[in-house]
Amino acid sequence: MSGEKHPLGIKGLVGRGGLLSGGGGVGGMYVGDWRVFTPKIDYEKCTKCWLCVAYCPEAALSKGEEGPQLDPRFCKGCGVCANECPVKAIEMVRE
Amino acid sequence: MPEVDVMPGNKAVAYGVKLSRVKGIALFPITPQTTIVEYLADFIANGELEAEYIHAEGEHTAMAVAIGLSLSGVRAFTATNSQGLAYMHECVAQAPAYRTPLLMAIANRTLGWFWSIQPDYSDVMPELNLGWMIQFVESNQECLDTVIQLYKIAEDRRVLLPAMLCLDGFYLSYSNERVEIPDQEDVDDFLPPYEPKHAVDPTVSDFAPGAGLPPPLHTTYRRIYEEILNDAKEVIKEVNEDFGKHFGRTYGNGLIEEYRCEDVDAILVTMGSMTTAARRAIDELQADGHRIGLVRVKTMRPFPSEEFRRLAEDVEAIGVVDRMVLHGTGGGGLGADMKSALYSMEDRPLIINFIAGMGGDDISTMDFRKMGERVLKAVERGRVEREVEYIEHPFKPAGRLVPLKEKRVIYPGSGGCTGCGASIILRHVLDVLGPSTVVVDPPNCAGVNYSSVVGVPWILANYAATAGYQTGLYRGYKLKGKADKIHVVSFAGDGGTVDIGLQALSGAAERGESIIWICYDNEAYMNTGIQRSGSTPLYARTTTTPAGRLWRGKRERPKNVPLIMAAHGIPYVATASIAFIPDLRRKVKRAAEITSAGKGLAYIHIQAPCPTGWYYPPEKTVEVARLAVLTGAWPLIEIEEGRVKLNIKPKKLRPIKEYLRLQGRFRHLTDEQIEEIQQWVNESWESWLKLEEMGKLPWYR
Ligand SMILES: Cc1ncc(C[n+]2csc(CCOP(=O)(O)OP(=O)(O)O)c2C)c(N)n1
Repeated sequence: MSGEKHPLGIKGLVGRGGLLSGGGGVGGMYVGDWRVFTPKIDYEKCTKCWLCVAYCPEAALSKGEEGPQLDPRFCKGCGVCANECPVKAIEMVRE
Repeated sequence: MPEVDVMPGNKAVAYGVKLSRVKGIALFPITPQTTIVEYLADFIANGELEAEYIHAEGEHTAMAVAIGLSLSGVRAFTATNSQGLAYMHECVAQAPAYRTPLLMAIANRTLGWFWSIQPDYSDVMPELNLGWMIQFVESNQECLDTVIQLYKIAEDRRVLLPAMLCLDGFYLSYSNERVEIPDQEDVDDFLPPYEPKHAVDPTVSDFAPGAGLPPPLHTTYRRIYEEILNDAKEVIKEVNEDFGKHFGRTYGNGLIEEYRCEDVDAILVTMGSMTTAARRAIDELQADGHRIGLVRVKTMRPFPSEEFRRLAEDVEAIGVVDRMVLHGTGGGGLGADMKSALYSMEDRPLIINFIAGMGGDDISTMDFRKMGERVLKAVERGRVEREVEYIEHPFKPAGRLVPLKEKRVIYPGSGGCTGCGASIILRHVLDVLGPSTVVVDPPNCAGVNYSSVVGVPWILANYAATAGYQTGLYRGYKLKGKADKIHVVSFAGDGGTVDIGLQALSGAAERGESIIWICYDNEAYMNTGIQRSGSTPLYARTTTTPAGRLWRGKRERPKNVPLIMAAHGIPYVATASIAFIPDLRRKVKRAAEITSAGKGLAYIHIQAPCPTGWYYPPEKTVEVARLAVLTGAWPLIEIEEGRVKLNIKPKKLRPIKEYLRLQGRFRHLTDEQIEEIQQWVNESWESWLKLEEMGKLPWYR
């Protein structure tokens, strides 16, 4: 095998995506297909307290102009945001 | 009539242990062994097996407990593999010297260097030559039968040595097969109760085995042990035959199992579950008119040299298939044993050593066919082309990473469970500490699931050694004048903190290493599938503290590790909760200020609710955490330079019932148990209030 280009870049070194990783690349893990329910955000009700952003286990929510922005590629649909929203501005809906 | 069921190899081992009426079981979880001891917990919890069940805080202790049990004169069992077996090694070496006929099941898994939970024999390789008897099995039925056989062999007065039963992780341990469960009376008839020749029991005699030996006797004792192991071969054969008479099943002659070896020019030699595929390859090759047979090594220690010398008389070439590499020798372990067994023969056959199936790589019938053909070619040519051949397969990476433009300390998405509390903690901790951070992480859920989305260096530490890795890194940065610029932070689970990791952590605290210790506490060993830890709350149900007819969850109160850490006099100790994020972030920041100033170790213990292990719906993760604080089950504490502060002090604590009833792990509780938990919570709350009142813990200067 020596001389060949290793699929993960450096021969013999496990890169990102393996247990011994961290650092290096730039990117998130696609988990959108885990989801059954999706958060639906009512921007009228939203008070921009950002609790949902703080509590999102996947960092799928970020601060936006009108309120939290969801990146569906990273949302597993856990529903913590909806459960924690103090003004009930987030509803989990079946896709 | 024996019952017939379908079960994985680990359950078959557990049945073997149960039928052998084992009296003492020491355990520590590790995949893919853990379900063996979980099944045993279920048996005991439901009154089907009467045995002491000891949750060790690490494998070194687990083996020590097993040896102690055996020395006291009772039949003992433990199980492990891989990292656990390596950590246990020192005590493993002790067991033969004490002549303790205990049994250890090894659900084989590769040993890191590079980590994987999949099987090969690199984990038992360092244990092969310590004086244990070691057998490898091919099927789940053989798992069960071999447990019973090995107790009989090990306890035979001619032997009195410990034994290991190796079953391939996953291929056997987690795969279902038909298994016949013998009747208890028949097993009792075959395997009498253990009557120790020497038990350490001062009420009977003053006997105790010595551990030291003057130099000249070492050589003599080594010879004697070799003789005992050699004699054990006869006992193994006898017991195997006797087992056949009782139960109608034998495994070759107990040492090796031959398959279609009549009139052949060559043989393949295998171990363990790979043999099943090899057998098919031999069928195909023989159908094509090739003269090649198969031999499975059942007993690896003592090595069946005589058997192979007999077989070697009649063949011209042997292909040895190895799932272990002796690095630096250019070959495998079984290959080396084979060569040394046959070297003294005048007309010895050719040997090709195949290295295959490392880290669980599947060895297919086609692979065995190819190996068989190579060996036959050697017969034809009268020489081997390459003495060692590697059977390699191409690797196809599964790309699930979504490229993002900006660099971050942690990226979105992860392999963790939906609604994971630890994920919330990790994201805030890294966000506060920033990019100049090195995470040192013992094996746990976080390492498996989050290391791949972290944008700072992430070092996997061996389970018991996290604080050691941290110390080395920190001191190195100190030498380079960078200690104040780099945060060396652990991200350890409760197991890695309060149990197996505590010794190294205590050492680092006492030495005053300026490192940050984050313990995310999901209150059990979650990565291995929800086993009890020293941090599991009173009466919680885990897979090793099940609720059954006799057991009602974990019987002990959890350790108060924040206070243990404060007892070291370290500058900063805190607890935190994901329901109180500003408080959590402030504490992480404070810890970083203290360690950057070189003041010593900062310890933060953060509760990490776990929907998978606590059995609540994932959206409740933060709600559960909040209730833990408001009921007093998880007090938010800060101890800076010895001054205790309770950060959240509700006027009145909510009843613990409100917290418990959200979680399936407490569903089995009786009213009395709930009352007892309430009492424990009250007492711990009162103690913290008292400590706070003291102003400063008296041992702080
Ligand atoms: C020496 C050693 N023993 C056992 C294991 C197996 N193992 C891997 S993760 C784990 C449990 C981790 O539990 P904890 O530290 O509480 O973290 P969690 O997974 O719950 O987050 C165990 C026992 C190991 N890797 N090394």
